Amino acid sequence: MSKRFSLTPYLFLAPALIIITVFILYPTAAVVYYSFTDYNIVQPPEWVGLQNYQQLLRDPIFWKAFTNSFLYLIVTPTLIFLSILLAIVVNRPLPGINVFRALYYVPVISGTIAVGIAWRWLFDYNGGLINGILVGIGILPAPVQWLAEPAFTLPIAMLLTIWIGLGYYMMVFLAGLQNIPEDLYDAAVIDGCNPVQKHWYVTLPGLRPQIVFVAVISSLAAIEVFNEIYVITGGLGGILNSGVTMVFYLWRQAFRLQHAGYASAVAMVLLLITLAFSIINIRLLERSEQNT
Amino acid sequence: MKQIEKGYLSAAFVLALAAILFVACGAPAAPPAQTVRETVVVPQTVVAAQTVVAPQTVVVPQTVVAEQTVVVQPTAAPNPEAVIKDVEPNAEVSLWTFWLSPTFDDYIKSTIARFEATYPGVKVNWEDHQATFQDDLRNAFAAGNAPDVINLSVGEGWVSDYATKGLLLPLDDKVPQDVKDLYFKGLWEEQLVDGVNYQFPWYQGISVELVNMKVYSDGAGLKLEDFPKTVDGLPELCQTIKDKTGTLCNIRLTVNDLLAQMVYEGGVKILSEDGKTCTFDSADGAAWLQMYVDMVKAGTVDRSVLVTDQDRVGLDLFTSGNSAFYQTGPNLIREVRANNPGLYGYLAAVPAPVGKSGVLGKGLMGISVKNDTKFPNASIALAQFFTNPESMLEFSKIVAVYPSTPKSYDDPFFAAKPIAVEDSAKPIAKDIVSKYADIVPTVPNKADVNEAVLQAVQSALFDNVPVQDALTTAAKACTELINK
Amino acid sequence: MTNTPSLALNAAAVAHRRRQRHKFIETVFWYAILILVAIITVLPFLWILSTSFKGPTDAVVSIPLQFIPHEPTLNNYLRVWNQLPVGRFFLNSIIVGVATTTLNIGITALAAYPLAKMNFRGRDAIFYLLLATFIIPAQLTYIPSFVLAVNVFKYYDTLFALVFPSLATVFNIFLLRQAFMSVPNDLIDAARMDGASELRIWWQILLPIIRPTLATVAIFTFVNSWNDFLWPSLMLHSRENMTLPVGLVALQGMFASDFRGVAAGVVMTVVPILIFFVTLQRQFVRGLSGAVKG
Repeated sequence: MSKRFSLTPYLFLAPALIIITVFILYPTAAVVYYSFTDYNIVQPPEWVGLQNYQQLLRDPIFWKAFTNSFLYLIVTPTLIFLSILLAIVVNRPLPGINVFRALYYVPVISGTIAVGIAWRWLFDYNGGLINGILVGIGILPAPVQWLAEPAFTLPIAMLLTIWIGLGYYMMVFLAGLQNIPEDLYDAAVIDGCNPVQKHWYVTLPGLRPQIVFVAVISSLAAIEVFNEIYVITGGLGGILNSGVTMVFYLWRQAFRLQHAGYASAVAMVLLLITLAFSIINIRLLERSEQNT
Repeated sequence: MKQIEKGYLSAAFVLALAAILFVACGAPAAPPAQTVRETVVVPQTVVAAQTVVAPQTVVVPQTVVAEQTVVVQPTAAPNPEAVIKDVEPNAEVSLWTFWLSPTFDDYIKSTIARFEATYPGVKVNWEDHQATFQDDLRNAFAAGNAPDVINLSVGEGWVSDYATKGLLLPLDDKVPQDVKDLYFKGLWEEQLVDGVNYQFPWYQGISVELVNMKVYSDGAGLKLEDFPKTVDGLPELCQTIKDKTGTLCNIRLTVNDLLAQMVYEGGVKILSEDGKTCTFDSADGAAWLQMYVDMVKAGTVDRSVLVTDQDRVGLDLFTSGNSAFYQTGPNLIREVRANNPGLYGYLAAVPAPVGKSGVLGKGLMGISVKNDTKFPNASIALAQFFTNPESMLEFSKIVAVYPSTPKSYDDPFFAAKPIAVEDSAKPIAKDIVSKYADIVPTVPNKADVNEAVLQAVQSALFDNVPVQDALTTAAKACTELINK
Repeated sequence: MTNTPSLALNAAAVAHRRRQRHKFIETVFWYAILILVAIITVLPFLWILSTSFKGPTDAVVSIPLQFIPHEPTLNNYLRVWNQLPVGRFFLNSIIVGVATTTLNIGITALAAYPLAKMNFRGRDAIFYLLLATFIIPAQLTYIPSFVLAVNVFKYYDTLFALVFPSLATVFNIFLLRQAFMSVPNDLIDAARMDGASELRIWWQILLPIIRPTLATVAIFTFVNSWNDFLWPSLMLHSRENMTLPVGLVALQGMFASDFRGVAAGVVMTVVPILIFFVTLQRQFVRGLSGAVKG
């Protein structure tokens, strides 16, 4: 192959590179700079050295947000497990199965904000569905203030994420299932696998690319969660900051309290975490690419 | 083609199934819970028998609430309402109000029309913002396109927030003395920041405790005249209501201005004489906080409402009929009526309990001008116009708010006997409004200080941190912040 | 001899019947699960739907739950429709979604082609640079992007502010690059022999081949744009510029204690998009299977 210099590839790449430079690379560099300044967006930034980072280390709310963001990762394995199960169920050629698939998809396309409004009502103290059922069948002696119990804020938001994500990831796995040849299952049955073993030995390996894909997407989304927290806590972050995550804290510091410099330091930590994550993810992706 | 057809088919299926579920789930609920009947006006709903709000016993007969819209025709120039001089020709000023649309669209629009006729050549662009008002306004300031004229809450501490950040225009030098004299002196000075005023006092509220007689009287067996006169009576009341009815008390902290609440309610001295040290970790401060901690521990208050930054959260709870009382302005009673007409008949109002300071509190709403407006005089004129005696009187006629201008009370409207429960404070409004006073010292860096206090208060309320420890931590952080 | 087949037949018939009964029970079991999950996913929406038709005398929350309004009314819808430009929210969301999706796909597909099929200096460097930017969370960029929007591009409180920053997503470039890589080289070489320009090859040969991936990328991008909330909430404050999620939050604020109004607003925003997606469901599943093959 003769390599004659040609402008063509660069021209093809130019629009994307310009956009990425302006809206991702430059802002990232700017955030690095802001994180060393006292900045409130209105007045010009003022250099303060490492002060923001020192404050960060001593800031209990930041650590709370840090922990919460990691706790939020529980949604990823849960979502993978549940949505594979659901995909297996809806993969059966039952009449009307398309209707069910569509129904499960309702929360996904309705959007977090609309769904979150419904979700808040479910957990309402006075006559919300959850209290109604649990008190009704005698599990709870008295209604619980779900949305005002620090221990429940994060789990409720996580349930919301799972509830929304379930239909979405189900579709991803469903698509994957339909690519697994039927004879593999037949072979497994002949080999004496019971239904559970069948899925363990055939379905899971067959879904490997989808699992990696969902793991990457949903874990990044979990680390960067904001909308769910915003809707569930009414923009407050929950009692005792129980629902505050990294991105929520970033937003609150930057846009509610006008501490954009400090928020930038939070952003830098977020960047480090996603960096670590992505290295793991890329490894996984590469391995799955080699395998298939 | 076929695909699309199938698509519609499955859409139809979804709807059909939804309908089936709808019917299926609907059925068990069959005996329709007779939760709300017709608007029953309870004859014994006595509005404040022995109370300050309405000295005479006001019985609500057939509550007819007149809701006429007052559209005032522009008067011909020279206009006596044009009190601000040197208004910039062809000025275009933007105005943001807080939670007045859509209910008061007609009033706001007609007032703007009257303003534009009074100051020919000035154009007003009006926007109303509700729950996201504060977020929108902060972003607009950050983006450099904040509105020229802004309706800010004095009670929630917004004026002092923005003023301490240097975002508002100081008014003392810009407004002639005879215009200042139009307002109650206490209101003009109700929110001074380092001795400077940044707001035209606008509509005022008389804090009342709205009582749901169904829960309070029928459920808990309490008498209206026994409603606590002071804040420290609340814990016992809430315990009784919880024991008898299982409903929680609907009490809200002023989370955006906790130090002010400490001052009014707990009589706490928040700053040292020299203004260099925060002193709210005193015995008074601890006592104030301890009361709320005890209520939370006893499980007698709704925790979400207690620490929400939105007054409407508490109002929602009251409106839903699930709380015995809520402290609010009579102007919001219409919200209750609109959303739960069945509850309206059970409403009564008593004066809100006062705290240790004995001072009634600050006023409700102000109108400020942003510091870097292009049209300071036109903006001041607009802010002044909305708060002038005429505009205030017209506003009072549509909703139970009270003017900041003594002259408005001369109108026969205020002499007329109140009919509806929301008007019960009318005869004594002037007296109460004239006594509003600011007794809270200016706290530098207030927003950050408040954030620190809020965290401390929350840790005491919900995380078992001893009250004294929480306040000491906050006071230390506060001292650091005010000397920054 | 004569007995055996009939016996066998009998046994087969019994086995068959048993299998059938077994199958029947199994089917019922699956439907039970399907319906249970459907109830969990849809129940809150049904509640909202029913609340939106409730008149002022129907309780919103009561136990047992009341699903059928006593006095069904459309007033809630009228009230929301008259007081908030819901139609405008819709239009804005559609404008932003369509503009973002088409432009984004154009730009990212252009970029993905040389990365997949051309040899040029710096290709690996560019690829790794893109890979590196993939990990940068969008929220991290919001503070500088806010400043850019205000001081440089001056599109604060306009729809441009939502479209421009999302015109090129690294994720899409990767997905499309993978799709391009699966196209045989011979096809491209043959076209080059015929003297076709690279742009023409891209447009006329490659794009049609990777159409399933394009569909997936389009749907991803559109859904993301449709549901985006944080950035739009920072950028938009005028009613007439709001997109649906931002408008919904405004609505929830405006009708705070008016649950029926909020419910009507939610229904109005959810139903059209629901119908749209039910229509596109087939394409969506196919697109997904095309995308994540690895």
